[in-house]
Amino acid sequence: MIEQRIDIDALVVGAGIAGLQSALDLADRGYSVLLVEREASIGGKMIALSKVFPTMDCASCITTPRMSSAAHHDNITTWTYTDVDSITPDGAAFTAKLTRKARYVDEDLCIGCRLCEYACPVELPHEFEGNMGARRAAYIPFGTAIPQKALIDIDGCVYCGKCEKACPTDAIDFGQKPVSVTVHARSVVIATGFETTPLDAKKEYQGGVAANVISALDMERLLSPNGPYGRVLRPSDGKIPDNVAYVQCAGSRDETLGVPYCSRVCCMYAIKQTMLLSGSLPLADITVYYMDIRAFGKGYEQFYQTARSMGINFVKAKVARIEEEPNGDLKLRVEIIEEDGRVSEMAHDLVVLSVGLKPGDDPRRFIGVDLDQYGFVASPEPKLDATLTSMPGVAAAGTAIGPKDIVDSIMEASAAATKVATYLGPPPNSPQPADDGVQIDIREIEAGDALAVAGHSEVLRG
Amino acid sequence: MAVAIDPTLLPELQRYGAFDVAACFNCGNCTAVCPLTDDDATFPRRIIRYAQVGMKAELLASKELWTCYYCGECSETCPRQAEPGEFMAAARRYAIASYDKTRLARTMYLQPVIGTAIAVMLAAVFAMFMYVAHGPQDGSTLALFKFIPSELIHSLGLAIMIVVGLAGLAGIVTMARRIARSEGVGWGTVFGGRAALGRSARALWIALGIESLGQRRYRKDCESVQEPVAWYRRRWLLHALTMWGFLGLFGATIADYGLELLGTKATGTPVPIWYPVRLLGTVAGAMLIFGTTMLILNRLQQANRSVRKSQSADWTLLLLLWLTGMSGFVLELALYLPQAPTWGYWVFLFHVAIAMELVLLAPFMKLAHVVYRPVALFFYALKPSTSAG
Repeated sequence: MIEQRIDIDALVVGAGIAGLQSALDLADRGYSVLLVEREASIGGKMIALSKVFPTMDCASCITTPRMSSAAHHDNITTWTYTDVDSITPDGAAFTAKLTRKARYVDEDLCIGCRLCEYACPVELPHEFEGNMGARRAAYIPFGTAIPQKALIDIDGCVYCGKCEKACPTDAIDFGQKPVSVTVHARSVVIATGFETTPLDAKKEYQGGVAANVISALDMERLLSPNGPYGRVLRPSDGKIPDNVAYVQCAGSRDETLGVPYCSRVCCMYAIKQTMLLSGSLPLADITVYYMDIRAFGKGYEQFYQTARSMGINFVKAKVARIEEEPNGDLKLRVEIIEEDGRVSEMAHDLVVLSVGLKPGDDPRRFIGVDLDQYGFVASPEPKLDATLTSMPGVAAAGTAIGPKDIVDSIMEASAAATKVATYLGPPPNSPQPADDGVQIDIREIEAGDALAVAGHSEVLRG
Repeated sequence: MAVAIDPTLLPELQRYGAFDVAACFNCGNCTAVCPLTDDDATFPRRIIRYAQVGMKAELLASKELWTCYYCGECSETCPRQAEPGEFMAAARRYAIASYDKTRLARTMYLQPVIGTAIAVMLAAVFAMFMYVAHGPQDGSTLALFKFIPSELIHSLGLAIMIVVGLAGLAGIVTMARRIARSEGVGWGTVFGGRAALGRSARALWIALGIESLGQRRYRKDCESVQEPVAWYRRRWLLHALTMWGFLGLFGATIADYGLELLGTKATGTPVPIWYPVRLLGTVAGAMLIFGTTMLILNRLQQANRSVRKSQSADWTLLLLLWLTGMSGFVLELALYLPQAPTWGYWVFLFHVAIAMELVLLAPFMKLAHVVYRPVALFFYALKPSTSAG
């Protein structure tokens, strides 16, 4: 293992939308930032979404500018495929031990031409597509991945050497080893995000057993223009669904799953998906089985009412049991509470479980911050200072703190960056404020820098 | 119709069992997950709702209380862990206490120490009463009915059965009137005309024969959602063995008395094991002992969701049944011993006293379900909603 050592102002753990925003805000103020991501691409969960509520922006279209801004920012060093092993206080700063995992591809040499991918004979389930499509063992994580660098899934690799022959820059390196890096950081932002509750968490729902019971994240991919099938088909037989059910609270507000809290986004993403489904499957019946609809954000209630007026069928009921029919259809057993309380078996041909949010990583694995009982980062001032952690110099942002939507994650990430900036004091080599109070003049930015400020340049223009 | 609200209902119900329906957010998971719920009986959510808002009359008029066999699936899957299954059990205890006008059942349930004291004292009183009248102990053979004269046992037994019969009848009438009113069932529905009589006879057969003795839904539906267990530990089977055993022993005792009345066989005459009445008693006793032993074991091991919480009332019933069965079994053994053991006489005294207590207390404890459940099942089988529509 080769040792490296670098010094930076802020270490941002996690390069989802929250981590990206914190990194950009800090970097824009002149702090040097190291952005680390355990996956092979930055972008987190948001880059996998189809569209976002309530604006119906294309998720790729609004996430990629942030991703490329961070990747090209002069003050941000981005390391993907990197694990954080430990972050320990070291005087007023922190010593972080990181492991840059072996991609088996030299990142400096790889030009993202994908010739290795085309040459690779191995096909494996594509995690990014909810395992609904296939990828090669030598692959670029997904179309809009940053960096556009290949990696080799060594567990699936058959060592045929075809990628090595195909690579025009000799970037394939089967001898690559993980590299341990020690980083000295003056501050840390934890943005480790969320994972969804497992599809098979509630055995009564047949998730992971019945092919046509899918998670809402899988549906995001089905609805994406660049998704696995290019349109919405059900997994078991490729049939175009015409009677889709959404099961709300399939991973939230349920003591039996150890998730008694509300995941806050499931109502809204389900409503969004039903609207998108009405577009892609105009003849389909769509039913949402819910306990309560929680549409609390700006414009959210109107969004919900729009869905109702579009003819989406909202049924107040907790789905108790799902049974699979021999033809792959599904029967949902519910009590029709708002009518006579009878128990009904509702037939559907595709069921989407609105899975909940749980912590994406256990930060205690690498840093000594306090967590709440569910594993989210706990603030000593949860009301007045949500991004605070129990350790001075360490802030947190986004779903690492608790379930929340993209709007709130981004705002919290900016708040965390502000807190960290205050903690750090003026950045080294910071330009003295000009007399007219304007720090940077947009006209002075070179053409080559334009990319670097894309996505947040509106701040400057405004 | 005006609805009377009793704000003390929920706190009162909570005294009958450990559940937390205050946590319930009325999602309806329990109702939909229940293998027994159908259009004519939706529970537990609706019954929980009655408790939450204090609709006491409606709760006590719910036949659904007795259509539940507590498989525990609702408690297992309840998102709030509000224990709907335990709630239903507590509501049944509350109903038994409410249908009983003497308030003895209430004391038995809510004051376990006093309840146990009453039970022990009652057994002691029976034992004393019979002991005072006891005759000689034959040393060569166990002449049990010379020790305690059979006439004494018979007349005491008859007296107890009359008391129990009256108490049970009063409970049944109270319950049936409530359910009938809420279900819209009148005398005409049950007895008016040939069609109604036919329907009633059919409902009676379903309630008593198919469901009570045959345990159809307990066997088929409730077991379907349970974790698979060895066949000899299935809940319905253990319950059925206990019930059939109890009924068998009861029947054998009555039949033995009947034979005496007919002059065929005087009580206490030694008969071989294959003699029908004795054979029935022996087989039924074995069933009762096996059933209750396994049920006790299930409760001790908390083997399934329905026995995770046990009330003193559960133990009292099982213990009384087990003691009755076991003492009878020991007695049977004693009869085969070459030299008549003197302890056999004392076991006999114990056996008779416990059996009498069991019967006498029946309407005031868990055992009361043997009358209330068939009544509810009768109304359930009657299905006035479907026949009217």
